[in-house]
Amino acid sequence: MEAQSNIQRLFKPLISWEGFLLFALILLFIGNSISSPFFLTVNNQINLFQLSIEKVIVAVIMTLVIINAEIDLSVASIMGLSACAFGWLFQMGVPAAAAVPMVLVLGAILGGFNAFWIAWVGIPSLVVTLATMIAFRGMARVLVEDRGITDFPDWFDGLGQNPFVGPFPLAMIVFFLLVAIFYVILQKSTFGRQVYFVGSNREVAEFSGVNVRRVKATIFIASGLISSLAGLLFAARVGAVRGDVALGFELDIITIVLLGGVSIFGGTGTMIGTLLSILIVLNLRNGMALSNITGHIQTGVLGVLLILSVMVPTIKQFLTKLFGAKISGEQKELKNE
Amino acid sequence: MTNPILEMRNVHKNFGKTAALSNFSLALYPGEIHALVGENGAGKSTLIKSMTGIHQPSSGEIFVDGKKCTFRSTQESQAGGVAAIYQEPMVFPDLNIAENIFISHHDRPAFINWKQMYDEAEKLVARLGVNLDVHRAASSLTLAEQQTVEIARAISLDVRVLIMDEPSASLSNHEVERLFGIARSLRDQGVAVLYISHRLEEVFELSDKVTVMRDGEHISTKPTAEVTHDTLVAEMVGRDMQGRFARVPSVATGETMLSVKGLRKFGEFRDISFEVQKGEIVCFSGLVGAKRTDVALALFGIEPADEGQIEIDGKNVEIATPKDAIEMGIAYVSEDRRKLGIAMEESITANITLPMLARYANKMGLINTQLEHEDAQNYREKLNIKTNDLDGAVGTLSGGNQQKVMLAKWLNTNPTILIVDEPTRGIDVGAKAEVHQIIHDLAAAGVAILIISSDLPEVMSLADKIIVMREGHIAGIFAGEDASEEQVMRLAVGAKTQEEVA
Repeated sequence: MEAQSNIQRLFKPLISWEGFLLFALILLFIGNSISSPFFLTVNNQINLFQLSIEKVIVAVIMTLVIINAEIDLSVASIMGLSACAFGWLFQMGVPAAAAVPMVLVLGAILGGFNAFWIAWVGIPSLVVTLATMIAFRGMARVLVEDRGITDFPDWFDGLGQNPFVGPFPLAMIVFFLLVAIFYVILQKSTFGRQVYFVGSNREVAEFSGVNVRRVKATIFIASGLISSLAGLLFAARVGAVRGDVALGFELDIITIVLLGGVSIFGGTGTMIGTLLSILIVLNLRNGMALSNITGHIQTGVLGVLLILSVMVPTIKQFLTKLFGAKISGEQKELKNE
Repeated sequence: MTNPILEMRNVHKNFGKTAALSNFSLALYPGEIHALVGENGAGKSTLIKSMTGIHQPSSGEIFVDGKKCTFRSTQESQAGGVAAIYQEPMVFPDLNIAENIFISHHDRPAFINWKQMYDEAEKLVARLGVNLDVHRAASSLTLAEQQTVEIARAISLDVRVLIMDEPSASLSNHEVERLFGIARSLRDQGVAVLYISHRLEEVFELSDKVTVMRDGEHISTKPTAEVTHDTLVAEMVGRDMQGRFARVPSVATGETMLSVKGLRKFGEFRDISFEVQKGEIVCFSGLVGAKRTDVALALFGIEPADEGQIEIDGKNVEIATPKDAIEMGIAYVSEDRRKLGIAMEESITANITLPMLARYANKMGLINTQLEHEDAQNYREKLNIKTNDLDGAVGTLSGGNQQKVMLAKWLNTNPTILIVDEPTRGIDVGAKAEVHQIIHDLAAAGVAILIISSDLPEVMSLADKIIVMREGHIAGIFAGEDASEEQVMRLAVGAKTQEEVA
């Protein structure tokens, strides 16, 4: 009996959505390795990350936003505005090393602007960030007009393009650091616990002494800050900025998070889920590219993934029903005692 | 004698094992205002819902004009001539009065004849004897005017039985008079009006007949002229001794723990002053709408009061947020478990420790999950929470076990003042006894306990002191052992004694 329940405890995580994603990822790795000898090389893996690194960095903080039962549509516009603000400052003669911290402060302020309307005034985040998505993008276009700004210092472009530690570029290190930090925050910290409760049931959190406004405000400010960092990394990697930097990225970012099992209604989801979802999306695209599948079909497959992600709660239920019978049987035994 | 328009015969309605209506019979005659009275939870709402097709009776029959009817929805009941209006009017704020009146008319042609609609709306409003411009948007109307629109909607459907469910609860005196005028003019036009109210004066002023119900059963139907305040109250509360719990001797210590002086919130409650001793159990009694919960929410910092003093253990305190309240040792166990009590998607352990997270965290804000689990495990044993997985979501537990998790969450804050809102609503007798035992244990440990309960036998068996509230103020305070259900109910409904009436 004891041994049996230990085995069940071991396998229980595998019947979760994360378990399903892990299974899918392993299949994907096997399939891709068979179809292309170049797939499982360090260089290819770094490359596939680099191509979308800014999106996946923002997906980390978007995980917290959505667990909190909110949405931030303005992330891509903050990325764009931050990149353009950097370019504009640089053109005005501000040294790049000074422009970087200034832009990060700007990002936090833009996030704070969202936070003010959402947390204090109480306007739905969907509306607020839809408005700021348009407004911040407009400001980005005004700043650089319709030209590109380029010729940044070599050290700056190098941060985006050259290996930083070992074979890994800076952005990838930032990404994995953020995943680790936010994993700990969500799973182990009091703040993370409050994020889950505010997302699951705002009133219950409030009645339990949680400062709901502060939790929401912190998340949106962090979202602005990290989006701005991602915008800078984009500028460094591409070596140029234009008004349409990161245009439309928000939908890809939200798709990744939802596919990772974070409920759009808030309260559930994990950083592991988001990480697995990122790995799946990136490897799927890359694997298809290596197998010479055209871009249109790649987009189609991602569309199917999106539909799957919307169905996550239903699939979760189905999986629990399918594999959970044994566990509920154990529960019945317990009741009889 | 004329025949009844609507007649219920031997209607039963069960929810699970509990019977909300049992063997209920009632006849409503044309040209008559019929009052319905009963305590909270007597089954009045279930009765109305069974008449209007929201609920289907488990057994029994409903006749309209002598013909047997089965209403499966409010549309069907309206087509059958039965409609209800409620305390909170249901109007579409962005539509105007005429549009609101005719929104339920599904049998009209596809294209609206606007002129005809406005003409008819004006006639309907005039028939009610009120002066309203039917082009006005519903959002610009007062609550009373919105009710008028609802009544007009009902009579536009040729309704012959109009149920009014506590329509006067949020109206001013002047507006109540006008509502009475409408009710009387409908009666004179041959409509049967079923009028539900907590206020006995209204029953005597308005009704021709009065029916008392209690615990889902029909107690009596008499002409209003033949009853008095006293007989009505006695019939509303009079139970046999079955189902009563024996009183436990008081363990109040005499040391004042909580002292409230002149608490007031504008538009909600006023002049709230009382004291609770360590180990004392104080019950707030009163009807729904007496604003008892609002006083509790003020003490807990959710909706702080505008005026007044709160002293805890002799010290004057400001309570602006629930966090303040929790830090001062106040716990508030809500009656609304799903909405305010626990978060269904989160784990049992996390729900229990949420208000006290700081206790489990180190300086970095990281939680010691080991410690958390020990405490959760402790409550699982102490309160007999039936689960084999404390990391499982609370939503997977049964209702009674969810209730225990909510209780564990607040006991875990080690409260010195515990406020419990309707602790045993909707749970069975066994679980009720368990909850009462926990409350007695806490009192014995010196916790000051405030209970809001609409369950009079519960109040009678638990309370060392009973505070009766009516319409936002304290109507009276009794010592627990001296009080009778009749006395408490009389104060709660504002009934006059025989001498006062004379």
